[in-house]
Amino acid sequence: MGPHIQFKNVTKKFGGTTALSEVSFEIQKGEVHCICGENGAGKSTLINLCAGVFEPTSGEIWVNGKHEKINSIQKSEKLGFSIVHQEVPLCTNMSIANNIFLGSSESMKGIFINESYMREKTQELLDLFQLKLEPTRLIDSLSIAEQSMIQIAKAIYYKPDILILDEPTAALTNDQRNVVFDIIRKMKRELGTTIIYVSHRLEEVMELGDRTTILRDGQFITTKNIKDITMDDIVRLMVGREIDNNSCYQCYATDEVLLQVKGFSKHRQFDNISFELKKGEILGIAGFVGAGRTELLNSIFGINKPDEGEIYIHGKKVPVHNCSQAAIKNRIALIPENRRDDALMAELSVKQNAQVVILNKMLKNGVIDKRKSNEIMDEMVKKYHIKTSDVNNCIMTLSGGNQQKVIIARWLANEPEILMCDEPTRGIDVGAKAEIYELLRDIAQQGIGIIMVSSELPELLTLCDRIIVMHEGRKTGELTREEASEEQIMKYAAAIAN
Amino acid sequence: MGMTELGKTARMKKIKVFREFGVFMVMVSLIAILSIASPAFLQMTNLINIVRQTVEIGIMAIGMTFIIVSAEIDLSAGSAYGATAMLAAYLYKAGVNPTLVFSIAMLAGGAIGFVNGFLITKAKMPAFIVTLGTMQIFRSIAYSISGGQNISVFPESAESSWIFKLGGSIGVIPIQVIVMIAFFIIAHMVMSKTKFGFEVYATGGNKRAAQLAGINTDRIKIACMVIAGVLYAFASQVSIAYLKSVPTTAGASREMDAIAAVILGGAALSGGRGTVIGTLIGAIIMSVVKNGMVLLSVPVFWQSGFIGVIIILAVLLDTCISRSNKKG
Repeated sequence: MGPHIQFKNVTKKFGGTTALSEVSFEIQKGEVHCICGENGAGKSTLINLCAGVFEPTSGEIWVNGKHEKINSIQKSEKLGFSIVHQEVPLCTNMSIANNIFLGSSESMKGIFINESYMREKTQELLDLFQLKLEPTRLIDSLSIAEQSMIQIAKAIYYKPDILILDEPTAALTNDQRNVVFDIIRKMKRELGTTIIYVSHRLEEVMELGDRTTILRDGQFITTKNIKDITMDDIVRLMVGREIDNNSCYQCYATDEVLLQVKGFSKHRQFDNISFELKKGEILGIAGFVGAGRTELLNSIFGINKPDEGEIYIHGKKVPVHNCSQAAIKNRIALIPENRRDDALMAELSVKQNAQVVILNKMLKNGVIDKRKSNEIMDEMVKKYHIKTSDVNNCIMTLSGGNQQKVIIARWLANEPEILMCDEPTRGIDVGAKAEIYELLRDIAQQGIGIIMVSSELPELLTLCDRIIVMHEGRKTGELTREEASEEQIMKYAAAIAN
Repeated sequence: MGMTELGKTARMKKIKVFREFGVFMVMVSLIAILSIASPAFLQMTNLINIVRQTVEIGIMAIGMTFIIVSAEIDLSAGSAYGATAMLAAYLYKAGVNPTLVFSIAMLAGGAIGFVNGFLITKAKMPAFIVTLGTMQIFRSIAYSISGGQNISVFPESAESSWIFKLGGSIGVIPIQVIVMIAFFIIAHMVMSKTKFGFEVYATGGNKRAAQLAGINTDRIKIACMVIAGVLYAFASQVSIAYLKSVPTTAGASREMDAIAAVILGGAALSGGRGTVIGTLIGAIIMSVVKNGMVLLSVPVFWQSGFIGVIIILAVLLDTCISRSNKKG
């Protein structure tokens, strides 16, 4: 078994920024090779080089001992690569079966599509993934988790030589994740597939990987056998410093009640939810996907009108509107779950994205004061450690963590009293996560009340003063920091606590 | 970050120039080619003629820029132009006070925009379909006002009014050109420096995100449609003042010229991208090409085909530039 893929002094530059700098390492045939690094470390760039999306600025990629120019996606496929990207590129208007066979001639019978063959093969695949779905179901009607599974299924169906998985488990439950892991292990064992695995979840790296390569700021740091390394070692190598989330916990909650939500109900989403939020408190909302947490936040923000329920701010009743303007006036902010669809304006610059909520503050005689806007932006960049070479660049040139910092900056600039965050660290690596935790603690210290929805229990346990647990739209439990443990939360979330 | 303030502004300027750079180079090279190919091209009268021909399309394209940046489209522009032209011509001819007629035409333009905008945002119909429908409706209105006849020869009261002065010139420079330039400057300021302009970009860039950021996106889209409607009506008045005649088919397929100018100027049909300056350059390119083809006696049958080629090449160039410039 020789090296399957070799990176030789690979450098990739985008304009002025260097995404990868002189990276050299090897991936062996038939191993699970994990790539670890913070956001912006160059993992996605590396994958995109293999996928033929970009070509290296300098350096060479060798596959099976031969120098290959991967200059198109077709070429990449020909070399045996199959890539599961982080964002799900499926045709949402088509069925599962159609998506699996998209771009393949295998299901063709002459010039006609062999529907029954397609359905049969898809059914086998769905069974393998333990998904109780019809092959004819439209992708549109599936949950994000199911869509992720379908994407992985599509990639493995064609039995590639090299399978690249980029954060495949971000949206999956533990059970689904285990199914995927079993399949990956089986491919490695029975087909000798080489697997490149990128994940922020280091437990997964430890569980699944044979070797790991660590990147930091576009540079190769080291390649290690997983056996010879601990999770703490990986974190240290990734960030170049030690991270300790727990030690800096401090309670900033006061006795002053900021927000009261009373009897919020909406058909099929959530049922009779009531809670209080105090000034300076970080309140967590836990529960499985589909428990109605996002819908609840959206209702409080005024973009998902509840059937019943009242909101009191500082003890005063405020009307529940069906638009966000009223909520913003009441100084409520929402950082949505889906950054790309609900928060980012992709054609606009970093600066425009950061300042869209505070336009009124920058007006001078009805015109946006450029100097003021630049000053505010400089302050934002410093205060929130936004990494960008130029704030006038398109927002999409930033890494996920930095995009999220821009979105948080957008809302904090408007001086909210209540900040609601929906999965604030989704798709963000440990280093940037720690920065966002620190930021949230700072915000709480300033007396802002924070409501935080998260599916990552350690995150809730690290940050929150109090945790509400939801199950299928109902509030099944409320835990203080002292009472809360992963086990306790899971019991309430599954509604098996007494 | 580590940059000095000076370095930063220099850099910003560079980017801003660059944004319209591709289409600007297309314009410059077309002018260069035509001045070599035809000695008549660079003569003052011809240049003024080109700029004058840019006026109506230019003013309409300003409106279209607002609409396209807000991620909508307006196929009814040409018919709206025709209907307001016909309405005004009818009233001028009937001897109604010219200032009143002008005001009525502007209001009618605004109302047309409002109807389009209302159907698109409140009835939640796609702009393409709404304006495909209103395009036919406004055209029928124009026909029924005119009774199928051209309207020309206006009473003295109208011809001597300030509105018809728009067709005149100061020295060699047509007044309508000055008016158009003023409109472009104002529109540029609105789009790049005001809260409204910012919100138009935000709405077109990601409607849902803009809503969550507290922007009333329906209101922004309707406002863009209304502004555009008023601009179509204004363009039609300029045309009456200059030609002193309105044909029944006034404005037919003008919407395509306006859309082409905006797209040439670098706007994205998906919204969120496009500038007023780009649109001006786009509109000038259209006039330059049309003028050049007459000077070079290109067969009439091939003139529109040639414009099609220019549009495709210019947008191709722009795509290549922005692709090489953009990550991912």
